[in-house]
Amino acid sequence: MAMHKEDTRNGYDRVLLLVTLLLLAFGLLMVFSASFVIAAESKGDPYYFLKRQALWIMIGLAGMFCISYFPYNKLKRLSVIILLLNFVFLGMIYSGFGSDLGVEARRWLVFGPIVVQPAEFSKLALIIFTAAYMSSRNLNFKKLANGSLIPLVLAMIVFFMIQSQPDLSTALIVLVGSLLVIFLAGVPIYQVAGLSLSLLPFLIYFTIKQDYRVQRLLTFFDPWAEPTGSGYQVIQSLYALGPGHIFGSGLGRSQQKLFYLPEPQNDFIFAVIGEELGFVGTVTVLLFYLVFFWRGFQIAMKAPDLFGSLLAAGITFIIAVQVLINVAVVTGSLPVTGINLPLISAGGSSVFFTLLGIGILLNISKHARAV
Amino acid sequence: MADFTVSRVTVRRRLIAVFFLTVMITLCLISRLAWIQIVCADELFEQAWEQWNHNILISSIRGSIYDRHGRLLAGSTSAHTVAAIPPQLEDPQAVADALAPVLDMDEQSIFELISIERSAVYIKRKVSPEVSEAVREMNIPGIIFFNEEKRYYPGGNLASQLLGFVGMDQGWAGLEIYYEEEMSGSGSRYLYLADALGRQVPHDFDRYIPPQQGFDLYLAVDETIQHIVEKELDRIMIEAAPKRAMVLAVDPQTGAVLAAAARPDYNPEKYAAYDQESWTLAPITSSFEPGSTFKMVVLAAAIEEGLFNPEERYFCSGHTTVSGSQINCWTVNQGGHGDISFYQSVGASCNPAFVEMGSRLGKDILFQYIEAFGFGQLTGVDYPGESAGIIFNPDLIGPLELATASFGQGISVTPIQQIMAVAAMANGGYLYKPYLVAEMRDRDGEVIFIREPEVIRQVVSKETSLKLVAMMESVIIEGTGQTAAVEGYRVAGKTGTAEKLGSDNTYMTDQFIYSLVGFAPAEDPRIVLYVAVDGVTRGPLFGSYTSAPLFKRIMEDTLNYLQVTPSEVISLSDN
Repeated sequence: MAMHKEDTRNGYDRVLLLVTLLLLAFGLLMVFSASFVIAAESKGDPYYFLKRQALWIMIGLAGMFCISYFPYNKLKRLSVIILLLNFVFLGMIYSGFGSDLGVEARRWLVFGPIVVQPAEFSKLALIIFTAAYMSSRNLNFKKLANGSLIPLVLAMIVFFMIQSQPDLSTALIVLVGSLLVIFLAGVPIYQVAGLSLSLLPFLIYFTIKQDYRVQRLLTFFDPWAEPTGSGYQVIQSLYALGPGHIFGSGLGRSQQKLFYLPEPQNDFIFAVIGEELGFVGTVTVLLFYLVFFWRGFQIAMKAPDLFGSLLAAGITFIIAVQVLINVAVVTGSLPVTGINLPLISAGGSSVFFTLLGIGILLNISKHARAV
Repeated sequence: MADFTVSRVTVRRRLIAVFFLTVMITLCLISRLAWIQIVCADELFEQAWEQWNHNILISSIRGSIYDRHGRLLAGSTSAHTVAAIPPQLEDPQAVADALAPVLDMDEQSIFELISIERSAVYIKRKVSPEVSEAVREMNIPGIIFFNEEKRYYPGGNLASQLLGFVGMDQGWAGLEIYYEEEMSGSGSRYLYLADALGRQVPHDFDRYIPPQQGFDLYLAVDETIQHIVEKELDRIMIEAAPKRAMVLAVDPQTGAVLAAAARPDYNPEKYAAYDQESWTLAPITSSFEPGSTFKMVVLAAAIEEGLFNPEERYFCSGHTTVSGSQINCWTVNQGGHGDISFYQSVGASCNPAFVEMGSRLGKDILFQYIEAFGFGQLTGVDYPGESAGIIFNPDLIGPLELATASFGQGISVTPIQQIMAVAAMANGGYLYKPYLVAEMRDRDGEVIFIREPEVIRQVVSKETSLKLVAMMESVIIEGTGQTAAVEGYRVAGKTGTAEKLGSDNTYMTDQFIYSLVGFAPAEDPRIVLYVAVDGVTRGPLFGSYTSAPLFKRIMEDTLNYLQVTPSEVISLSDN
């Protein structure tokens, strides 16, 4: 099976690594720019978010480096263990380690100075498991029970666990990632359509269960109807992007990060980029992401086996979904959700587990078939 | 087994589809960004700019108003304004209930104010220090205080119509509005970029527009003369109970207004409690038929044109007929003045004699003089709302209009026009532009504006002026104005009794405006005085019992106050 033989001549995908490093470095810069005023104000240290982010990037890069040397096909055998670990972490939220960090949602595990968001791990864990399961033999996709039923049920369980924290948006990302892998694996279209339709009532139910989500949805259609209420975030985001114009107001010169934008270093960092670096800046960032998606897509296309292909695609597209949703929210094209911008937004767990995923991608790229 | 697994082709096809979808969505988002950051950029920038920019009004204290000797007539003190920051209020209803009794407002209106979704709202502006202290002691979070200024008028009602008053944010009447810009100063603002909590962004754009301090006004008005005038006005209001009364005092050598007042008046600190009619200075803003005082204009024209011979005889039968209309003399019931000289006709204020003088002058010449004396035009005095009066359209003047105008009927003039015309007759023929404000100074006392008396034109010659003075002196000595004489001084003047048109457009028989305009001392006029008493309801209906004594008392006190050297006593026979 020469086809499946490791192609060591090409090595790993250097472009993917380069784009990743560039986005990380740029992200670090923007996290600092967006956060130093808020950090000085609320933490007494303008470098607070910069330092934490830099530390997590180091840890993440180390993890990525290690994982990239870990043959990805071994993950297939570990996939059940990884999934179990995921359930343990999610369960631990209800133990003494769980914390709400002062907001009204219990999403974090606190180990001394280290704060982890287990849902970020769930994204990766569920993709690994689904990719492993869907690429295993003895599956008959034509029959639901013998095909995608088990990963679907597990994805639903994870979805419920995360959304009850509550963190509907992350729960949805996890579910979408899982469905994407199932779809890519080749289940018949009618199954995908049927599954999607049957999930719709759940979605609607969970959306309207909480008042603030309905409010967010309503204000999406007319943010100026309630400019001081929930329309505020959208308006403030547009007030950052618009004045940024084509070339921006200059690095560090955002006005909107001065408490006008909610979480300027996190969910709305793209708005700060738009204000400081203008249309040129936002488009450049999106083009870098496109290159990233392109490389991920290529790795999936050239992966030596179905597992590698599904795994690479799952990791790539779950990042893509988050990027696109984040930018859509910031541009007022989607209702406000709490999805950050992968690799750029401040957030330790997010950057760490994203980098682990990229480590897996890099490893798969080493096994690429010559096409 | 292999036939169960799906083909690689399907996986690849779906991968391509998903990637294609990703690219398409990215392109959509890029166009969305272009829309926001290029097409809508300017509009969004404007809105954002409004949100970012805050400015603080650094209130420059409003300029004060002083009289010609630096006595304070209007000044400013600081006052407190109670405001709320609605988002910081824990329980608006409780706050409203607590504040209502202290601020003397009702709970509901306070509650409505502080429930507004705004960063700050005024609850009550310019409260007294006691009230603001009481609110301060309640120590309610979210209730804040601003320093503002409050206008005060140490003289109370004194010169109220002249000074005007200040509403919440600016002058609303009188000099306070006329000199609003000069007194309020302007543009004292501090602009800066603010964060979402309204705090200034350090090291960033800020702009300080230095305050243009308000200037102080120094009036031509003399507070003492003003006080004399108002005291006498109050007295006549009691004695004769007229509908209204008004007085003007002007320096004939400069045009400086020394005093100006009218009754009814008002208190500028409680302006809202008074009728708006009482806010304005009627001698400047109202016009009415002048009556006989206007005969001086005809006389001036006749003397200047050489058409007046004092020795010439005239027979007054009590009435005369012009264009088929009968014109009565005020002596019609006594059979007229009979055989008199034109010299006597002035002191006797004989209507038919002046109708004769007018017709000799002709409409062109007479109306030329009427215009030259400033009638029918604004004098340009620095007071808001001046009236120009109404003079006949020259094209529509027939013999009848010429005749009535000759004794002051059918035209409408303002007291300020009359007094300036008489001042011109008294001072050698020079028509001055009247003024109220003589000087403006900045906060350091530096004079930044000084009024130069402004001669508009010379209307009559020095000789004519001297003759007019002599004629007007005869009115006081032996004519209709004898009760206006002041002992020790040569006083000159002319009386007037204007009839008023009733609602049926005919002259009323019991409603008159008694006026007197004159000056003293005749040999070197220091002060011209105009008095008018309108609609007397108590006591005799004669100018000699109302306007003339009013004139006399004011003139006497003013001459004493100004320490004018008494005139040498001259006997009538010399003249």
